[in-house]
Amino acid sequence: MTSGDEGLARGAQASDPSHDAGAPIAEHRSRTHATVETVLRNRLAVAGLVILAVLVLAAIIGPWVIPYEINEIDIANRLTGPSTDHWFGTDELGRDVFSRVVVGARVSLVVGFVAVGIALILGVPIGLISGFYGGATDSTLMRFMDILFSLPAILLAIAILAVLGPGIVNAMIAIGIVYTPIFARITRGSVLTIRQSVFVRAAESLGATNNRILRTHILPNVMAPIIVQTSLSLAFAILAEAALSFLGLGVQPPEPAWGRMLAEGRSFFEQAPWMAIFPGLAIVLTVMAFNFVGDGLRDALDPQQRSVIESRGVG
Amino acid sequence: MNGTSRSRIGMLVMMILAIALIVAACDSGESVDTGETTTTAASGGETTTTAGEGGEDTTTTAAAAPEGGGILIAAQGAEPDRLDPHLTSAYASFQVLENVYDTLVQPGPDLSMEPALAESWEISDDNLTWTFTLRSDVVWHNGRAFTADDVVYSYDRIMDPDFGANNAFRFASIEEVTAVDATTVAIQLSRPTPNLLVNIGAFKGMAIVPREIVEDGTIDTNPVGTGPFRFVSSSPDQGIVLERNPDYWRASEGLPYLDGVTFIQIPDPTVKLTNLRSGEVDWVDTVPPQQLAALEGDSSVVVQRVPGGDYHYFALNQNREPFNDVRVRQAIATAINREEIAEAAQFGAATANQTAIPAGTFWSYDYAPFTASDTAAATALLEEAGVSDLTIEFLVTSDFPETVTQAQVIAAQLDAIGVGVEIRDVDFSTWLDAQGGGDFDAFMLSWIGNIDPDDFYYAQHHSTGGFNFQGYNSPEVDQLLDAARVETDQNARKALYDQAATLIVDEASYTYLYNPENINAWGPQVTGYEVRGDNAIRFVETQLQR
Amino acid sequence: MTGYVLRRIGQMVLALLGVSIIVFALIHLVPGDPVRTALGTRFDQEVYEALRARAGLDQPIVVQYFTWLGNAVTGDLGVSFRSGVPVTTLLLQRLPATITLAFAALFVALVVAIPLGIVSAIRSGSRLDYAATATSQVAVSVPDFWAGIMYILLFSLVLSWLPPSGYVSFFEDPLEWARHLALPALTVGLISGSIIFRFVRSSVLEALNQDYTRTARAKGLTERQVIWRHVMPNAWIPIVTVVGLQLGFLLSGVIVVEVIFAWPGLGRLALLSVQDRDFTVLQGAVLLIAFMFLLINLVVDIVYGWLDPRVRYD
Repeated sequence: MTSGDEGLARGAQASDPSHDAGAPIAEHRSRTHATVETVLRNRLAVAGLVILAVLVLAAIIGPWVIPYEINEIDIANRLTGPSTDHWFGTDELGRDVFSRVVVGARVSLVVGFVAVGIALILGVPIGLISGFYGGATDSTLMRFMDILFSLPAILLAIAILAVLGPGIVNAMIAIGIVYTPIFARITRGSVLTIRQSVFVRAAESLGATNNRILRTHILPNVMAPIIVQTSLSLAFAILAEAALSFLGLGVQPPEPAWGRMLAEGRSFFEQAPWMAIFPGLAIVLTVMAFNFVGDGLRDALDPQQRSVIESRGVG
Repeated sequence: MNGTSRSRIGMLVMMILAIALIVAACDSGESVDTGETTTTAASGGETTTTAGEGGEDTTTTAAAAPEGGGILIAAQGAEPDRLDPHLTSAYASFQVLENVYDTLVQPGPDLSMEPALAESWEISDDNLTWTFTLRSDVVWHNGRAFTADDVVYSYDRIMDPDFGANNAFRFASIEEVTAVDATTVAIQLSRPTPNLLVNIGAFKGMAIVPREIVEDGTIDTNPVGTGPFRFVSSSPDQGIVLERNPDYWRASEGLPYLDGVTFIQIPDPTVKLTNLRSGEVDWVDTVPPQQLAALEGDSSVVVQRVPGGDYHYFALNQNREPFNDVRVRQAIATAINREEIAEAAQFGAATANQTAIPAGTFWSYDYAPFTASDTAAATALLEEAGVSDLTIEFLVTSDFPETVTQAQVIAAQLDAIGVGVEIRDVDFSTWLDAQGGGDFDAFMLSWIGNIDPDDFYYAQHHSTGGFNFQGYNSPEVDQLLDAARVETDQNARKALYDQAATLIVDEASYTYLYNPENINAWGPQVTGYEVRGDNAIRFVETQLQR
Repeated sequence: MTGYVLRRIGQMVLALLGVSIIVFALIHLVPGDPVRTALGTRFDQEVYEALRARAGLDQPIVVQYFTWLGNAVTGDLGVSFRSGVPVTTLLLQRLPATITLAFAALFVALVVAIPLGIVSAIRSGSRLDYAATATSQVAVSVPDFWAGIMYILLFSLVLSWLPPSGYVSFFEDPLEWARHLALPALTVGLISGSIIFRFVRSSVLEALNQDYTRTARAKGLTERQVIWRHVMPNAWIPIVTVVGLQLGFLLSGVIVVEVIFAWPGLGRLALLSVQDRDFTVLQGAVLLIAFMFLLINLVVDIVYGWLDPRVRYD
């Protein structure tokens, strides 16, 4: 093929996008519709969505509706059990546990979303490039991901936090880095499958640019497993934040974060079980909600996807 | 394919089980002694055999052991780092080493210095030569006789600038240590040192060690001392195993009573206490203060609380604006409420104090210039200093969780005078690094194990003091502390320290908060153990009655 | 096959080298150093410098790394700054407890997950299936340290059935070994079991819906024959993958649980060495953990091909 031919082919390509893109995109759109329907038919997924809606609401309007100021210290009334005054009781400094749990939703959700966002932003491009270009690029990137993946997740997060210093932003970065290899692997795996498909080969034979093939053909078609993994990773990220807070890293006091509240409550378990029970329940509910939605999405989008998903590292 | 796959599954399952068994079999060594079997055997007057390091068996005849023997299981919250007494700074290590090593002199029950390896001592008229007469009946755990050369060797090791011993600073006034004869040691000083006995004997960081275990490099793995218990072994699963030293220099008194002590490490305080209540361990090094009330009616646990010499404080960085202004420091010192802080963090197991040394000792000094929560005075001071919109970054560490609690209470208290607090909770290594590098507005911690007022004030508040990270610089205080260091008259010396303390408190070099109680707990089967004011853990007179 | 294994081992060595560089870089970027930490609050500049020089910490980082690497190649992983004990000794002391807990937890996980997963799939939609699925959903959502504390409170404090913490060697006392192992193994095993359960259930369910299963049924085989001859052999392969991955995590990632149960494993050693900046120990511990993780991945891939001869190694 001469360079002139190539230029011509590209020109033709650009002038007639429907030629190659039509079928898979249309398929993608109708699939989105079907996905929403399937997810909504799944009762657990709906329950998960409802819980998440309540949590998001709590995170947004929480600070304006809670009965007490979250950092108001009242030593005389500390460690009192649930009552009409304090629905979830008070903690070791006399703070209202209910108010802190409500506001804590904000921290957990923000940590979860931002951390997974970081993992997505880093992991998906790595996976796309690795899977699409193959060869030395692929093996270099994937070896690096393998190295990160072979390090114990919680230890890697601890080490990153030790370098960056504890704090909510750094906790999000650390968790994000820890979950990057999973996204890279999943994306790469899907790209390898899609790359062999008829329509990608067709686009290639028609001389579409790599960039264009990646954007218009590959990315839309690898979205399904990524979406599923995102939902499940949100669950892991919240657990990871809790584990880091348990070890005294993560969110700085007196900011109410569920993981930290649970860690503090652990020392008071016998006198004041409510201190650990309510934030613990909040964590369990949130993680469960993300898992339900993730499972619903998987059933709808991608029943075959299994390999790396669900591989939760225990903290 | 199906048939072959199935048999392969079977093989796979077998393999996994086989691996599990091999692994189980691979881990040799002994268990953490949980009391029951071994103790029964020992107190039944039979012979107990304990596997020594390197496979050697050392046999103790329990028939010779007095009533109240047995092996005590002691649970500590932290892991000892190393067992070389001159290199470790970890309290967990000293809990163990206290029972293995000796110093020339040691703090008695009231923390006054009493004889240990030295029977007696004399001070020359010029106060520059101290002559110690050593006990002649002391034998190392390896059987060699203890002599004056061991003292000279140990002190030279601590003082060697290339070695880097933790407590070298305590020997700053010592010029030379010489062995006059086998049982006499002379210490030559460059200046009178009225607190020399505390400097060389306050705790086991200044222990006398035998040359041979330093030279063969086993001091960290197989310490040899002269104390009531001999080191047997250390491993993460068995803990640190000590056995009775039958040749202890107080053996004629029947000491020690116990056949051995095993230190195990349980990091979680709640789990540690649960072990005590369920009888898995006999003794624990701390009790979470919030559990004290609940434990009062618990017949399975004996809790003892004594006023201790530790103190909690925070310090503002005087190399930074606006904390270099004494009025700002005073404003903060009077805006806080020490009672509330102590109550919040220690649940009544502490006494608020505006100076360092707790009440009830010779050196304590009743001085409390600041009114608690005096927001009017504090606001006035801040206005005078022209400071507004102040936010303080408080350096604390979850490794000492009470600092995190206290910072939250202080944040609420300072909110009343419009001062913000940003809590920076880091791990202790980072904390130390930030403190050393001056990277803080305020840091908060506690000092433990101090006995002499020089320990309390000199290194912390003298302008050349090694621990003066807050940058306090008062020529007057320097002069007082220097004078007190060499003052041999007790009462004159106390007067000097009182004057220094007045300035240190007034100028808020440190803002002192409270003195916590020392708390240990044990099962009802343990007798003869006393919690000490210096938090030293001594099992020499302890007995077990099962 | 041999070529494949050799190539994989080569990749493993490279990965371990990468791990060592990352760990070395990370630990040297962390504020604080082992000497300062060892000195604690009683800090003295002269003592600090003497100790640094003695430990070779005053050398440039690159020199320190290559010194370490040179020694590591000959099997000498250095000496712990914190304890003065050789790193190899520390690792060997801790390894049995870690492996014991990992396999015990895996045992718990498999005992729960495999029968329950198969039955749930066969009786998909039944009450048992719902109950098992719901329980597994809750179990994977509970933070493990939280579950651990709950078990301690229930089984040790309230019921006094099991010791709350510690480790006893199998040879010392098999009964005590099992009693001490029970709670930590339960804590992590049930979480792993829930993950494996969901895999078993979905793999079996998928195999049940395949053409060959329908064909087998059409041939008039009994349901039991269908399950064992046609469904299970095809369902095993993905299960082996997830079990391998879980074992990798169990060997590497139960740090918080080790802390709670005072379990003398590698995770706690690694955590302590991060806290004390004891980087020779951290290097050794992380390399060992990563090595086990990569080794298990390799074994899983080999087993994979063994179970399914259609998989080719190229």
